[in-house]
Amino acid sequence: MISESICQQVLARALKLGGTFAEIFYEDSRNFGMSLRDGKIENAATSRPLGAGIRVYDGLRSIYVYTCDVTLSGLLRAADRAAAAVTDTKGSGRDVMLAETRFADRHPVRTPVLGVPAAERAAVLRAADRAARAVSPRISQVAAGLIAREQHVIIANSEGLYTGDVRTYTRLTCSAIASDGTENQTGMESPGARMGFELFETRVDPEEAGRKAAKTAVTMLDAPYCSAGEMPVVIAGGFGGVIFHEACGHSLEATSVEPGMSEFAGKLGQTIAAPCVTAIDDGTMENEWGSENIDDEGMPTTRLVLIENGVLKNYMIDRLNGLKMGMAPTGSGRRESYAFAPTSRMRNTFIAPGNDDEEEMIRTMGDGLYAAQMGGGSVNPATGEFNFSVREGYLVKDGRITSPVRGASLIGKGSEILMRIDRVGREMTMGQGMCGSRSGSVPTNVGQPTIRVSRLTVGGK
Amino acid sequence: MNQENKEMNVSVFSDRVFAAAEAAGIAPAEICVAGSESFSVRVRGGKLEDYKVSDRFNLTLRGVSGGRIGTASTQALDEESIGMLIQGVKESAEVIETDEQDEILPPDEAYGAVCNHSEALRGVTAQDRIALAMRIDARLAAADARLTPGFTVVATSEETMTLKNTLGLDLSHSSNMIYAYASALAKDGDQAATGFKLLWGYSLEDVNAFDVADGCAQDALEKLGAGRMSSGARPVVIRNNAMADLLSTFCGVFSADNAQKGLSLLAGKEGETIASGCVTLVDDPLMPWGLGSAPFDREGAATMKKNIIENGKLITLLHNRKTAKAAGIRTTGNAAGAGHVSPSNLFIAPGEKDTQALLKEMGEGLYLTEVSGLHAGANAVSGDFSLLARGFEVLGGKAVRAVEQITVAGNFYQLLRDVMAVGSDLLFEGSPIGSPSVAVRSLNIAGE
Repeated sequence: MISESICQQVLARALKLGGTFAEIFYEDSRNFGMSLRDGKIENAATSRPLGAGIRVYDGLRSIYVYTCDVTLSGLLRAADRAAAAVTDTKGSGRDVMLAETRFADRHPVRTPVLGVPAAERAAVLRAADRAARAVSPRISQVAAGLIAREQHVIIANSEGLYTGDVRTYTRLTCSAIASDGTENQTGMESPGARMGFELFETRVDPEEAGRKAAKTAVTMLDAPYCSAGEMPVVIAGGFGGVIFHEACGHSLEATSVEPGMSEFAGKLGQTIAAPCVTAIDDGTMENEWGSENIDDEGMPTTRLVLIENGVLKNYMIDRLNGLKMGMAPTGSGRRESYAFAPTSRMRNTFIAPGNDDEEEMIRTMGDGLYAAQMGGGSVNPATGEFNFSVREGYLVKDGRITSPVRGASLIGKGSEILMRIDRVGREMTMGQGMCGSRSGSVPTNVGQPTIRVSRLTVGGK
Repeated sequence: MNQENKEMNVSVFSDRVFAAAEAAGIAPAEICVAGSESFSVRVRGGKLEDYKVSDRFNLTLRGVSGGRIGTASTQALDEESIGMLIQGVKESAEVIETDEQDEILPPDEAYGAVCNHSEALRGVTAQDRIALAMRIDARLAAADARLTPGFTVVATSEETMTLKNTLGLDLSHSSNMIYAYASALAKDGDQAATGFKLLWGYSLEDVNAFDVADGCAQDALEKLGAGRMSSGARPVVIRNNAMADLLSTFCGVFSADNAQKGLSLLAGKEGETIASGCVTLVDDPLMPWGLGSAPFDREGAATMKKNIIENGKLITLLHNRKTAKAAGIRTTGNAAGAGHVSPSNLFIAPGEKDTQALLKEMGEGLYLTEVSGLHAGANAVSGDFSLLARGFEVLGGKAVRAVEQITVAGNFYQLLRDVMAVGSDLLFEGSPIGSPSVAVRSLNIAGE
């Protein structure tokens, strides 16, 4: 890791020809990945990503130079390249004085994955594989993966900050394929948390993950295609929260709000959702997949109310967009690695629990779709257009769940779906995802209780 | 970074790693170094907003230990990394149970020649890139009152892959490119639509500012006034870019690795008709100036051009040495590392007709110009897709009205069989996977 004095030299060098702010993000990580297919461990590999990103603000312009040469001379060269790009705020340079700031670790780690014998790590994958195959003889293939990451970072900036953090992530992925010879259907479970190998003692049962993935695949193999049209849709909790993440969350990131490329730009204080909707982005939740101690700009993480009873309260704001918008950053600056300049991103983002009864929602919905498990989705923040796939869906007829249906997708516009939520259940659960945006792929939780949307376009056959 | 200095460091470091591997009983051993440099600028509202420079590399050691192959990689050229690589390879070799790893072998007898590296690009300066981005942004700003330019990005990148092993293999290939793209938001009353245009190539002339700006403006503006479309099965002409997106999503079905693991329904279908007679699918790693061109694959095997589908018939899947051995044939030179295979430059061979002719022949239906959400709404294993789409309603052989908020659903395997005609407009939109426009018998549209 790099010292305060090296950071001081590099930051001063980056500002030698002017510039209004300089930052260094140094990373030395250990990644481990292991995969199993056909019941056999197929790959196992460690890697050590290492490098530093140097950022200089030239007024409101961002200059970003990154390198994996982290010797002092390599870092100074990168600082020189950044300095050479300063044009608008040329000056005579200045000294940088750093003082170490330590933040409390909210997310304790008990057992680092790389300290666990390889055979024990492999046993997790075997357990998921066995449990999945035991569900049905029609399970034709199981792919399981173990992903672990230990990211050591140092973040320092010209305002005197010098701090660091260790981010530890562990995740199991399990996908099961059911086949009847001519057709394949898949089921997928990917539970994870910001913790070490104790994940498998405290939170995640690999067998349960395997079983659930297999059950989805087998259920979908027997399902007819979903018919298309507009209908009410009940969306179950957990990964169902991807609907809020995609349809609304991205449009509340300063990344899209600041340039006016969001349908929610300029709407603070306005009603943008039904009154039963309160939504939160929370980086403080202990050991959760999207949680942090500090963001990737070195700011302590926060709990942020985005929407309260339908009214837009806050955007997620990083430092640079905060400057451009004249608003305070919210601890939302995140990046995948040193290879990305940070921007505003979600952490654990969810619709807060409401007061509605889940059984009643379906009983009173008439004909429609029950989305028991969502797949992924995407959104165009400028127009709010979104689409999601439904991994496990059921047809509802006259208030009763009748049969599973496959191939359904949900499309619409974020502003419309928020207003059309007419039921919010009592128990909020979360699911884990990797969220992609301009600053790369970062771990985020999505979550919600079971909710009902009065009308949505369902794509199918 | 000082190029000479870095190369010397990598080379000295590699020699030390090879020596440490030998001492640890890892033999044979292979080192793959992937290096990349990139430079990009982003302009918005007449201002340079973002300026990004990078250089990075990644060094991967693979080697045989106890009869199995282990893998470990690093970006740090220090003492600690040498120990980590050796330990990582041994540990991973110990736990891996499959016999069919990518093998480490001596070089092939001959390698094809292909160029996708332009010396001309080396002379392009930071100022050139900024000026180009400014020109695109300015042109867009002046294009139409309903249009707000978004970001304009101009970037160059250069990649080098070096593959060396203890059996005499020593290969290196470099490629570079420049690309420019612009986005814009068109608004008219309640209607909003985004436009996008990307051009790429190997010199400044390949990324003409007016072509990028005008293409982006047109893409945004022609979507205004869009309505819905009624649900039902319809004939569809899929525009080249959208067809290339579908092909990118589903190209895994042509992987022998997937097929042998039950993840592709094309297993054992070689020689059978799997697509309409007008479909020929080509993988050409030796295509001059192709984005995915390279004379050798990740295993150091020589690459070659081949038809995957020829006039509807499946000729071959894509193989690495391991899958080829299992199938009793020679590798097709498509090893992608970690036992996987991937295409190089993959495209549907173009036909004779232009888009107007395809639409005219279709008469009524949908001209599908954009699909989104491919990572979620498409299942690469089952071939099913259900995607948010945009396009134009086609009546009397002409695109008459923009359509939004619809989904198109179908199955990729069926789509290959349902191709009625292949257009002449082969396009690689900044990707090594390309396609011409194609007319298909029917897809399911969900709208009103």
